[in-house]
Amino acid sequence: MNDQVPAFLAGIYAWAQTVELSPVGVAIAESRYAFAVIEGVHLIGLAVAVGLLFIVDLRLLGVVLRGVPVSKVLRQLRPWIIAGFAVIFITGVLLFWSSAARLVLSPAFPIKLFLILLAGLNALYFELVIGRSEAVRQRPWSLPLNARIAGLASLSLWSLVIVFGRLIPYLPSWY
Amino acid sequence: MNANKLLDAIEDSALAQLVSKSDHLVGAGLQVAHILGFILLLGSLVLVNLRLLGWILPEEPLTKLSREAARLFTLGLTLAVVSGLLIFIATPRLYVVNWAFGLKAVLFAAALLIHFLLLRRVLKGDRPSRWLTRTAVGLSLTLWFGVSLAGRMIGFV
Repeated sequence: MNDQVPAFLAGIYAWAQTVELSPVGVAIAESRYAFAVIEGVHLIGLAVAVGLLFIVDLRLLGVVLRGVPVSKVLRQLRPWIIAGFAVIFITGVLLFWSSAARLVLSPAFPIKLFLILLAGLNALYFELVIGRSEAVRQRPWSLPLNARIAGLASLSLWSLVIVFGRLIPYLPSWY
Repeated sequence: MNANKLLDAIEDSALAQLVSKSDHLVGAGLQVAHILGFILLLGSLVLVNLRLLGWILPEEPLTKLSREAARLFTLGLTLAVVSGLLIFIATPRLYVVNWAFGLKAVLFAAALLIHFLLLRRVLKGDRPSRWLTRTAVGLSLTLWFGVSLAGRMIGFV
């Protein structure tokens, strides 16, 4: 399909092609609406998960819901955010399954994955370290600097994930 | 003035030319702004609707929460509408013949109607009935999710 596959991608590209040609990959690609619906559900999951996460981050920055203790906001919204990310992940895997070769050739795709990794590490660090620190637990209303930085990092990183996701069709190849 | 002339006028306007003649990445940037806008919008609506159902933050007063959510909703809606209009005027002809765009426009109008005529009433109301609340929540989320699904279909039809 593509004339120029960069040498460093040759192995991954070959693997991606087999993924795309698998029964599931073919089924999704050939169905008239499957891909569009899966991508639509991906977007909805994104709106729910990242939408609520943005609200959490804005709370960490003290911009919204200032009357509600941070720990409460986190506790109440967390299950929904996790559920939303589960939907994003499952639909994302299905999307990859049906267009693996095309995705692998775009430089935007590995950048997006790397940003997701960074965002995930930021979230993990917040949950395991910052969120459990005395500073956060003893000040339920306003937060120490590291918590606010984590909130800002989360906002920025997930926005960049969305940017690079949108750029994939605009950057179809490395050349 | 007929439809063709109207579309020409839109497409030839200074603002539309500014968008259509610039780099592809400007268009991509507008789409990203559009997406971020509706993420804010949908996030605020998910927050407030889940609260209405009593599924999150049930002890928080509804009025305060809905006021905060309204700020985010307005910001998200503004961002989405402004970016959406700019995307539209750059190539209006592409969109007016696209049935997914038409569907999105209809659902968008319906979503706004339900939002301002029903949901806001329920949020301000004094102990609205369970039935009314659930109807408002169901319609609100279904219509807005419908808008995003229809929006995604635009590129496919």
